[in-house]
Amino acid sequence: MEDKTILELKNVRKVFGQIVALDSVSFALKRGEIHGLLGGNGAGKTTLMNILYGLYRKDEGEILLRDETVNIQGPRDAIKHGIGMVHQHFLQISNFTVLENIVLGTDIKNKYTMKMDQEAEKVKELCQRFGLNVNLNDMISTLTVGARQKVEILKALYRGVDILILDEPTTNLTPQEVDALFVSLRVMVNDGLSIVFITHKLREVLSVCDRITVLREGKNITTLDRKDASEEVFVRAMVGEKMDIENSIYFATEVRQGFDRTTVEAPKLKLENVNLISQDGIPRLKDLNLEVFGGEIVGIAGVAGNGQRELAEVVTGVVPITNGKKTYMGDDVTSKTNVDLLSSGFSYIPEDRLSDGFLPKATVAQNLILGQHRIKPYSDGRFINWKTVFSESTKYIKEYNIKTNSPGDIGGNLSGGNIQRVMIARAFSSDSQVMVAHNPTRGLDIPSMDFVYQKMLARREAKLATLLISEDLDELMRISDRIAVIFRGQILGVLVRDEFDKYAIGRLMSGITSENQPTEEKNLP
Amino acid sequence: MTIAKKLLPYLLAVVASFVAAGIFISLMGFDVFKAYQTILFTSFRTPNGFIQTLLKFIPLTLLALAFTIPLNAGKFNIGGEGQMMAGGIGAAAMGIMFADLPAIILLPLVILGGVVAGALWGLIPAWLLYKFNINEILTTVLFNFVAFFLIDYVCTGPWRDPAAGHPTTVLIGRGGWLPMLVNNPPLHSGIILAILVAIGVYIYTSRTTGGYELVATGANPRAAGVFGINTRRMFVLSLVLGGAIAGLAGAFEVAGNQHRLIEGMQSNFLQLGLIIGLISRGNNGAVPFVAFMIAVLEVGASAMQRTMMIPVEMVFIVEALILLFVLLSDVVRRK
Repeated sequence: MEDKTILELKNVRKVFGQIVALDSVSFALKRGEIHGLLGGNGAGKTTLMNILYGLYRKDEGEILLRDETVNIQGPRDAIKHGIGMVHQHFLQISNFTVLENIVLGTDIKNKYTMKMDQEAEKVKELCQRFGLNVNLNDMISTLTVGARQKVEILKALYRGVDILILDEPTTNLTPQEVDALFVSLRVMVNDGLSIVFITHKLREVLSVCDRITVLREGKNITTLDRKDASEEVFVRAMVGEKMDIENSIYFATEVRQGFDRTTVEAPKLKLENVNLISQDGIPRLKDLNLEVFGGEIVGIAGVAGNGQRELAEVVTGVVPITNGKKTYMGDDVTSKTNVDLLSSGFSYIPEDRLSDGFLPKATVAQNLILGQHRIKPYSDGRFINWKTVFSESTKYIKEYNIKTNSPGDIGGNLSGGNIQRVMIARAFSSDSQVMVAHNPTRGLDIPSMDFVYQKMLARREAKLATLLISEDLDELMRISDRIAVIFRGQILGVLVRDEFDKYAIGRLMSGITSENQPTEEKNLP
Repeated sequence: MTIAKKLLPYLLAVVASFVAAGIFISLMGFDVFKAYQTILFTSFRTPNGFIQTLLKFIPLTLLALAFTIPLNAGKFNIGGEGQMMAGGIGAAAMGIMFADLPAIILLPLVILGGVVAGALWGLIPAWLLYKFNINEILTTVLFNFVAFFLIDYVCTGPWRDPAAGHPTTVLIGRGGWLPMLVNNPPLHSGIILAILVAIGVYIYTSRTTGGYELVATGANPRAAGVFGINTRRMFVLSLVLGGAIAGLAGAFEVAGNQHRLIEGMQSNFLQLGLIIGLISRGNNGAVPFVAFMIAVLEVGASAMQRTMMIPVEMVFIVEALILLFVLLSDVVRRK
């Protein structure tokens, strides 16, 4: 690795309304390194890189590229300067082929015949050089998330960038795909590229990065060589002085005992051969069997879009089961809808908080009682007791650290993380027998995530049942008693806590069961 | 935020619209101050002016509520006019068919006839929405036209008053007339009912569980549905309730003012109702107050036309400008 700084951001400041997103942040990228940009949600990582990529204007500060001040106007300009970015959400056209997506927006030699042999050659050469194997003629819609990410990286490489920014690239990848990605990244930097790796996952930066910069609340905390620092230093830098790391679940290292099933007779929630066929006739859930006991946290792992949302909605009664049986505390509730279930012991944290869980035009208090607005203490069935609602809301705002002035404030003014806290407060406040939590910690900083885990474990102590559906495998392994892996609407396998192995789960996530198991190589960098 | 701070943008909007309209009035060569004096004080100078204002206030409040209740559920009822006419027809039908019944039976029958007919006129678009997902804006507007022709038929059909020069029915039975609160100038007791309805609607939407579900549905139907609210039922309920209230306004026109059905009695209450509803931002508690203010302007406007020959349309411009400035203050505050 040469010690030459290729890119430098100096004292960058960015303010959104009242919120200082970045406060005099500096960042230096050397040639041929993988530089981790680490921090919890809201730390300013993505904002900083969006400024570099020209998506946001900086309020103050300077960008030096190869020792020259540059003023980047937009993504096109950034690419011209050799900076490429792979976003968390891919910008691809799903009914175009891989090749068409890669060349889209660039000059094609044979513009009128659309014969792209030369371009294909060039892309193939890139694929080979960096170990990014994708079939160029495949339609994007048929690809896995991992393959689509390769396409996104190829798009940047094809445009000849030498600085590549990856924003949370491991979201939704199986552990095997993560390993393969890390190998490719190493090849790229050996080839002279420089990579910025944005993540909130400490273990990932430790395993792949050369240097690591930690951001917290929009400020530089530290930049260190991977070799020079212990894990603990980074942990402390990420969360600040306030958090109690010793007792946290997020950073817990000791082994926790799994749930002992011999002590309970009947499950709180039981799904038997549940099938769901969507309105357009596509099967979404197939012969699904699942039991959640009181005092147990059952995790659902899987790549997003494999039926997790449907599972959550079937359990909570938002959509009716096509066929199969659902039992709650021994009673058959197959035909019960959310109208009944939510007032008789179910709570739900939906995945898409803005569309499925939040009333932006209503007040925070109105949001906090949604779903429990028909039952005591909030309502006697006819009238809402606003006095109780307000006093309870004030309590929850404090306990769940929701940043708002009063329960009467309009919900739409809250930030994403605070809206998520409202979802969490609403679900946890009802002491429900069965909770369905879908990506409950999305958008939360580490102390808040830890708070959610504490609350879940408290439910476990109280012998309540929790179904945790998450895209974050670390989260599932941290807290679940059992993990069921869902693939194309089917549960492919269930692992109990002492059998947890991320590669085994990863295999199931990509649809490989033990019967047809190919040899998957673990090539860690 | 204190109430004074909340009211400030409205006050500024009113002042700004008066200033803007004042420029036009003076350009047209009229005395601006005298014009505004007439507009603002006619309602309060004479008992007649005040009662005129109250008589306008009744249908304006009701039609504004007919718009804001569905608005709370996220639906747009632009059919208040048709629902009011349907209510008038229903009330007149009762009053004419059972003309001989005593007041104790006939009066409730007339009022109920109006409410039910109005509710029915709201139910049809609601059902089309529920069953076939047909946009309620379109259907409620179109049902206004159906009501136009229906009222035309009723006023020129078997119940027509041959002595009248204008399409009109015969008088309804004496027992169906609303009792008078003040005889000269006449003020009917519908105002008490109207105020009770406004209070009831306010309590319903802000205090009851059903009202909460209505507001939640309007705030985000998808989330409300996920959390156990039957949103499609709330849509129907809100449109039917809106229709019933507009129908009540029609019944009051028949039983309180005209004592018969007259073509054209719906005036321009629909448009004014929309303006009131929008200025109130769908807040049912604010509707009666805004409606009273608009009623003052309306009465003042006709006086201004009579005494100063300034076209009454000038006041429409003022009302429209108030609305525009109120909406503008939203944009300004967001900046």
